Amino acid sequence: MTSPTDTRRTVVRLLWPGRRSAAALALAILITTVLPLLAPQLTRRFVDDAIAGESAGRLTVLAVGYLGLAVSGQIARMLAAWLASRLAWDGTNRLRESLAAHALGLDMGYHGKRTPGEMIERVDGDVVALADFVVAFLLDVVASLLLLVGVLIVVLAVDVRIGGALLAYCVLIGLFMVRAQRLAVPAATRVRERFAALFGNLEERLAGAEDIRANGAGPHVVRRFHQSSAEVYRADRHAERLGGGLFAGTTVAFAAGTALVLGLAAWTQQSGALSVGTAVLLFQYTQMVRTPFERIIDQIQQYQKALAAVTRIGGLFAERRTMPEPENPRPLPETGPLSLELAGVGFAYADDDERVLADVNLALAPSETLGLVGRTGSGKTTIARMVLRLYDPTEGVVRLGGVDTRDIDLAVLHRRVCVVTQDVQLFAASVRDNLTLFRPGLADDDRLRAVLTEVGLGGWLETLTDGLDTVLGAQGGGVSAGEGQLLAFARAFLTDPGLVVLDEASSRLDPATEQHIETAIGRLLTNRTAVLIAHRLSSLARVDQIAVIDDGRVVEYGPRETLAADPDSRFSRLLVAAGVRRESQVIP
Amino acid sequence: MVAVRLARFDLRSYVAGGLLWAAFLVVPLLTGLVLKALFDQLSGHREATLDASLWLCAIFVAIEATRGAILWLALTVWPRWWNSVATTLRANALSSILTARGPAATRLPHSSGEAVSRFRDDVHDVAMLTDNAVDLFGAVIFGASAFVIMSTIDPVITLVLVLPLSVVLVLSRVLSDVIRRIHSRARQLGAAVTAFIGETFSGVLAIKTAGAEEAVLERLREHNRRRRQAAVKDRLAMDLLDTATGATVELSIGLVLLLAAPAMRRGDFTVGDLALFTSYIGWLTALPRIVGRMLYRVPQAAVATERLTRLMAEHESADHLSRRTGVWFDGDPPPVLEEIPARDDPLKVIEARGLTVRHGDSERGLEAADLRIERGSFTVVTGAVGAGKTTLVRAFLGLLPVESGTVSWNDERIDDPGTFLVPDRAAYAGQVPRLFSESLRENLLMGWPVDDPALDRALELAALEQDLAEMPEGLDTVVGPRGVRLSGGQVQRATAARALVRSPELLVVDDLSSALDVETEQLLWDRIADAAKDGRGPATLLVVSHRRAALERADQIVVLDRGRVVGTGSLPELLRTCTEMRRLWDEELVVEAEEQKTSASTH
Repeated sequence: MTSPTDTRRTVVRLLWPGRRSAAALALAILITTVLPLLAPQLTRRFVDDAIAGESAGRLTVLAVGYLGLAVSGQIARMLAAWLASRLAWDGTNRLRESLAAHALGLDMGYHGKRTPGEMIERVDGDVVALADFVVAFLLDVVASLLLLVGVLIVVLAVDVRIGGALLAYCVLIGLFMVRAQRLAVPAATRVRERFAALFGNLEERLAGAEDIRANGAGPHVVRRFHQSSAEVYRADRHAERLGGGLFAGTTVAFAAGTALVLGLAAWTQQSGALSVGTAVLLFQYTQMVRTPFERIIDQIQQYQKALAAVTRIGGLFAERRTMPEPENPRPLPETGPLSLELAGVGFAYADDDERVLADVNLALAPSETLGLVGRTGSGKTTIARMVLRLYDPTEGVVRLGGVDTRDIDLAVLHRRVCVVTQDVQLFAASVRDNLTLFRPGLADDDRLRAVLTEVGLGGWLETLTDGLDTVLGAQGGGVSAGEGQLLAFARAFLTDPGLVVLDEASSRLDPATEQHIETAIGRLLTNRTAVLIAHRLSSLARVDQIAVIDDGRVVEYGPRETLAADPDSRFSRLLVAAGVRRESQVIP
Repeated sequence: MVAVRLARFDLRSYVAGGLLWAAFLVVPLLTGLVLKALFDQLSGHREATLDASLWLCAIFVAIEATRGAILWLALTVWPRWWNSVATTLRANALSSILTARGPAATRLPHSSGEAVSRFRDDVHDVAMLTDNAVDLFGAVIFGASAFVIMSTIDPVITLVLVLPLSVVLVLSRVLSDVIRRIHSRARQLGAAVTAFIGETFSGVLAIKTAGAEEAVLERLREHNRRRRQAAVKDRLAMDLLDTATGATVELSIGLVLLLAAPAMRRGDFTVGDLALFTSYIGWLTALPRIVGRMLYRVPQAAVATERLTRLMAEHESADHLSRRTGVWFDGDPPPVLEEIPARDDPLKVIEARGLTVRHGDSERGLEAADLRIERGSFTVVTGAVGAGKTTLVRAFLGLLPVESGTVSWNDERIDDPGTFLVPDRAAYAGQVPRLFSESLRENLLMGWPVDDPALDRALELAALEQDLAEMPEGLDTVVGPRGVRLSGGQVQRATAARALVRSPELLVVDDLSSALDVETEQLLWDRIADAAKDGRGPATLLVVSHRRAALERADQIVVLDRGRVVGTGSLPELLRTCTEMRRLWDEELVVEAEEQKTSASTH
C-alpha cells in the first residue's frame, strides 16, 4: 500500500514547474510583497512632517512617491497572477494526465463499479479544485505569509515589545487555524463525495433519458434527484457551519491582537517614546496584517476542498492494479497465429465469493477456432476477458503462444489479441479517430476507406459530408447500432492480431448485412486463432471446436463435427431447438 | 430576471442570510469611527487619559466579535438558500428533459459528460449572480454611509474620491464584453476536457483491449493544452479588472495624502481623520471590486442561463427553468404516483402517417413512413442496417423530432406522442439497454406503483426469473454502472421486464433479442405471446427484429429500406410482393441453411 505522504509527494512532484519557472514566480511574488511594505514608511514620514510643519513641496513628493509604489505594486501583482495561473495549469494538467493514465491502467474490476460521471469528478473535478487552490495558494497564501513576515520584521524594528506581542499573537492564531482546519477537512470531503454521487447518478439518467421518458419514469427520477440533493444540502450545511465557526473565531482572535498592538502603542506613546507618525505606521501595518490573514482564512475553505481533493486523488493513485505488469516480460511471436490454452482456470470477483468460472480447460492450436456456447450469464464473456487479460484467473493459468498471460507485456498482448464485442464503444470524434482510436500512425486514409468498404460501410461513408473527418455523436449518436458494430469490425481489421475474440460481435446485424461481411470475417479469421461467442448457432458454422458452458463450467467440449453428429450431445440438442421450428414452418 | 426569481426560491433564507451578510459588510463603519477617536487621542488633538484609549481598544474588540458572530449566523443560513436554488434549477432542467412535451434527443449535448458540466458549472454561475447581489447590497450601504461620514469631515477630498471609483465602473463595463467572450471559450474548452474524460471511461473496454491508452492520453493532452491557454487568458482578464480597481483605490489614498497636506499643516485635518479615511478607503476597495465582479457575473450568468435554457423544451424559456417548483430538504418529496391512473380510452388502433425524420443534413432518416397497428396484433419492423428501423420506432414514440407526420390514437390525433405514449398506454425497451446504479427492484419499478407479485409476473414474462433466483440478494441486488455486472442478455431482459411491469396496452421493443441465446429467446417470445392471448401481458406488440422467430409470428411486417417503407403485410404476402423482404428473407435462409445442414446430419 502507498502511504498518504507518498501520494502527496507524487501530487507535489507533478505540480512542480521546474527550477527556472519556480524562481521567476518566486521573484514576482517577492516584488509583489516588498512594494506594499514600503508604502507605510512614506505615510509615517508624511504624518510626522505634516505635524512638524514641513514645506508643502516635501509633502507632495511623499504623496507622489506613495502613489508610484502602490500602483507598481498592483501591476506586479497582476504579473505574478498571470505567471502563477500558467504554472498552476501546467502542473494540474500534468496531474490530470497522469491520473487519467493511472485510471486507464486499472483493470475492469475497478471500472465495472464506477460510472463515467464519477470518473469525470475524480479525474477532472478534483484536479480543477486543486488548480484553483494552487493559484490562490501562491498569490494569497504565500504572498500573504511573506507580507506577514515582512510586517513583523518592520514592527520589531520599530518597537521590540510591540513587535514581540504581535509575533506571539500571530503564532497563536496560526496554531489555532491549523488545528481547526483538521476538524473541517472530513466535512468538506463528505460534501464532495455527495456531490460526486449526485452527478454520477445524473449522468446515468441523462444517458438513459429516452428509456426513462418512454416508460413514464421522469417524475420519479426527479423525485430521486430531490432526495440526493437533500443529502448534499445536509452535508454542505454541516461543513459550512464548521467553516463559518472557524472564520468567526479567527476574526475575533485577530481583532483582539490588533487591539493589543494599539493599546501598547497608546501606552508607549503616553510615555513619549513613540511619534504619532509611528503610531499611524503601526496601525497601517496591523491593517496590512489583517488582509493577508483574511485571505489565508478565506483560502482555508479552498484548502479544505483542495486537501479533500488531494486525498481523493491520492486514493485513486493508491488503487493498485490487481494485474501487475510482468517484471521480466516474455516475448510473443510478432506475427502469425497464437495458440491458446486455459488450464484449470477458475475465477471469482475480489469482493465476491461466488465463483464465476471453475476448472475451465480449453486448448487451441494456432489457427484453430473455438465456439463458446451457453446461456447468457453462463460465463462465456468472462472466459473471453481472461484471454484478453482484463482479469487474471484466481486459479489455473491462461497461456497465449505457450506463455502465461501474466508474463506478457500488456501492450504486446493487446497488440496481438483483438476483440469485437456486442457493446460497441464509439467516441464523439471523427470517423478516423473512432477507427484508429486516436492513433494517427495506425493506418492512412486509403487503408481506412478500404477497410470500411470491406466491412460494407463504403456506402455509409459516402453519405457523410466530411468523409473520414465527420464527427460522430457520443455513444454512437447518428450511427445505428448495426453500423456501430460494423465500425467495431473495421477496427479489428486495422491491426494484425494473432488471436481474435468475437463476443456476440454480429448480434446487432441483420442477416443481410451479416452475410455481407461474412466474407470479410472469413478473411479476418484466416490463419488466425479465434474464439467466437455467439447465441446464433449459424455464426458458429466455421469453428473447429465447440465448448458448451453452463454455470461457469465447461459441460461439453470437442470438435464441432463430432458434437453435431452425436444426437445426445448438448450442442446438437441446441441445434435441434433452433432447427425444429424450421420444419413446421411454412416456406412459400 | 432569472437572478431575481432565484432570490425568491427560499425568500426567508435569502432575506435572513442577505441581511446578515450586509450587516457583516457594514460593521466596519463603526470600526473606522473608533479608530478616529483613538488616533485623535494619540495625537493629542483630543485630551484623554490612557484609560480612555484602552476602553476604545476594548470597544474595537467587541465590534469585531459582533462581526464574527454575524458571519457565523450568515453561514448557517446561507447553504439553505444556495442549495434550494441549485437544486431547483437542476430539478427543473432534469424534469424538462425527462417529462416536458416534445422530444429530448436534440436538446441534450453530444455527451452526457458535457450535460453534467452544465448541471454543475452553469447552475453555479447562475446562482452566483444572485449570491453576489447580497455583497453588492452590503457594500453599497457601507459605501453610501462612508461617503456621508467622510464628507462631514472634508467634502472636497470626499468628492475627489468619487472620480477614481467611477473610472473603475466605466472600465468594468468596457471590459465586460471581452471577458464574456473569453470566459465562454474557456468554459467550452473545459467542457471538452470533461466530455473527453467521460467518454474515455465509458469506452474504457475498447481502449484497453485495443491497447490505445497512450493515444487516448495524447488526445487528452491536446485538449488540456487548449484549455490551459483559454483558462489562463480568462484568469488574466479577471485579474486585469481586479488590478484596475485595486490600483484606483491606492490612487485614492495617494490623492487624500496630496489634498490633505495643507489642511494637516493647518491642523484642520487631524491624524484621526487620516486614519478614518485610510480605513474606509481600505474597505471601499470592496465597492468597485464587488460592482466589477457583478458586472462580470452578469454576462457569465447570461451565458450559463442560455446554455441551461437550451436543455429545456422548445416551448419553454428561462422562466420555466427558474420557476419555483419546491425542494425537500427536511422530509421526503411527495410520492409521484400512488396508483396507476385510470384511462377511459383503451387502445383500438394506433396509426402513424407520413412520419419524416432527418438526421442533421445527411440523407439518412425516415421518409413519409406509415404504420397502422390494431389492438391485439403483432407488428414487426424489419430492414437492413441503417434502414431506419430504430428511427421509425423512436419517431413513433415521440422520442425524436419529426419534420412532418402525425400519430393518432383511436383515430384521434395525438398532440405530443412523447408525453401521451407512456405507461400504461405504451412502454418501451430500447435497443441499447440502460440500467442505473441502483437495486434491480428500483431499476424495474422506477416509481411504478405495483406490488411484488406483479413484479414477479413481469420478470417471468421477460424470462428473467431463473437468473434472479441465482442472485443472492434477489431484487435487492445493486446493479453496477449501466448494469455492467449483469450479462448483456440479462440487462436486455431486465429492460424488457421494466416495460412489461407497466402492463402497457402497447409494448414497443427494439431488437430485444440481439443478446439472447436460442433457448432464452424462444422462451421469451412464447411467454409474451401467450400472455398477450390470455390478457396477462400487453395485448399489442410493436417489435423491431430481423429474426425468423419474430417474423414468423407477425400479423403484420413493415419492411424498411433506406428510410422508406417498401412493404407492409403478412410474411407470405410480402414474400410475393416485396423484393427487399425477399432479399432479407433469402439471406436469412442462407445463414440458417448451414445450421439446418448441421442439424439434419444429426437425424
